[in-house]
Amino acid sequence: MLRICPLAELPAGEALRVDEVSPPIAVFHTDDGEVFAIDDTCTHQDASLADGWLDGCEIECPLHASKFDLRTGEVDAPPAKQGVRTHAVTITDGDIYVTLSDQTPNLPPGVTA
Amino acid sequence: MTTTELPESLISTLPGHFYTDPQIFALEQAKIFEDMWFCAIRASDVPTPGTFRTVQVGTESIIISRSRRGEVRAFFNICRHRGIRLCMEDAGDVGRAFQCPYHAWTYDLDGKLIAAPNLTRMPDVDRDEYGLKKVHLREWLGYVWVSLADEPPSFEATVLQEVVDRLGELTNLDHYEVQKLAIGRRIVYDVKANWKLIVENFMECYHCATIHPELTEVLPEFADGLAAQFFVNHGAAFGDDIKGFTIDGSEGLDEIPSIDPDQERKYYAITIKPQVFVNMVPDHIIFHRMYPMAADRTIVECDWLYLPSVVEQGKDVTKSVELFDRVNRQDFDACERCQPAMSSRVYRDGGVLVPSEHHIGLFHEWLQSKIQA
Repeated sequence: MLRICPLAELPAGEALRVDEVSPPIAVFHTDDGEVFAIDDTCTHQDASLADGWLDGCEIECPLHASKFDLRTGEVDAPPAKQGVRTHAVTITDGDIYVTLSDQTPNLPPGVTA
Repeated sequence: MTTTELPESLISTLPGHFYTDPQIFALEQAKIFEDMWFCAIRASDVPTPGTFRTVQVGTESIIISRSRRGEVRAFFNICRHRGIRLCMEDAGDVGRAFQCPYHAWTYDLDGKLIAAPNLTRMPDVDRDEYGLKKVHLREWLGYVWVSLADEPPSFEATVLQEVVDRLGELTNLDHYEVQKLAIGRRIVYDVKANWKLIVENFMECYHCATIHPELTEVLPEFADGLAAQFFVNHGAAFGDDIKGFTIDGSEGLDEIPSIDPDQERKYYAITIKPQVFVNMVPDHIIFHRMYPMAADRTIVECDWLYLPSVVEQGKDVTKSVELFDRVNRQDFDACERCQPAMSSRVYRDGGVLVPSEHHIGLFHEWLQSKIQA
């Protein structure tokens, strides 16, 4: 399990890119107060989803507007075709922890873990 | 200029080539429009985050937009990557970011680089350093003024001083609360004339009785050929039988309540060099901004500003707008007829100014000192 940061340091509506792991992950605190973690790299082209636009439980890539569901990692809108991995999040004593998925990540062309 | 002796009544204008020579125009772009404060847009032209306008300031295209927090921002309209023009339209709404149509470099509404293909693999690329190049700006009178200079001149010593020079003190303009007024009408004129012909025309009234019969009807003293701008804080009085500043002298719109009693039934005018004219009457403001596009072409955007209640209630401003719209067309027609003559051999050394136009000589001195600097 990876300790990310205190929940209080990630305001609702914000995202955090964590690049201590490879491939990097993105942790989101939605406006509804839920916390999700997914792979940070868009599967279409190398871009940070943490820099994208958070709308409910959906993240839109800042480059070409692919959308991913934070709960499932599935593609909601192209041009991305493959989903991103999701990682289990737990909040313990006010801190965010992530358990990394053991699946193979879907990375865009030219990017390796 | 030649040293031909002129009769005492006359002083010389600029030589004809000042109005036609692309090199002179290039100097004006660099040393005047790109170096001074330039009135770009009405702040209400970009009402919400992401709405934008692009304007030509000298040789540069500038984006004026509004940030997520609602603050006005101005940027050079150029992607920091390979230089492509970001916004091609005159106005629009980018939503939440400016995205380059070439390689998708993406900038937030504060200009910061927020995304680009492979950007995460270039951690040494600073996102502020490679953000959109910012332009200095000031909001005043409800307009967004920009300066492309690295170190802009003092707004107070330039823009505001022009108002003081003309009206004696700033409060005489403050009374109109121009920043609170709303646009009742905007008309854009594409004038095939050098911008200086338009400034010179606006500064004098020797032509008024000849080409502005309707205006002279409303402001009879204009028949003497002395413009309101010949004096300090001189308002031209409405004619006795004139009810308002309208095409037929009929009643105008609701008077701006904060004006001074002295300002009722009077017309005032200010030239704010290099490209703004402000006309003040009791019920509205007529605000001209020029965009010099070439030595022989100037776009003039003119706003008629009324009390917000007048605009919200949809009151008929037709007669009010028609008076100065007609004045504008009469003036711009005259300027367009002058333009071809500027390259005539007869005008090589320029023309002459009569005494009621001699204050235009100060404009010429100012211009020459600017472009020679």
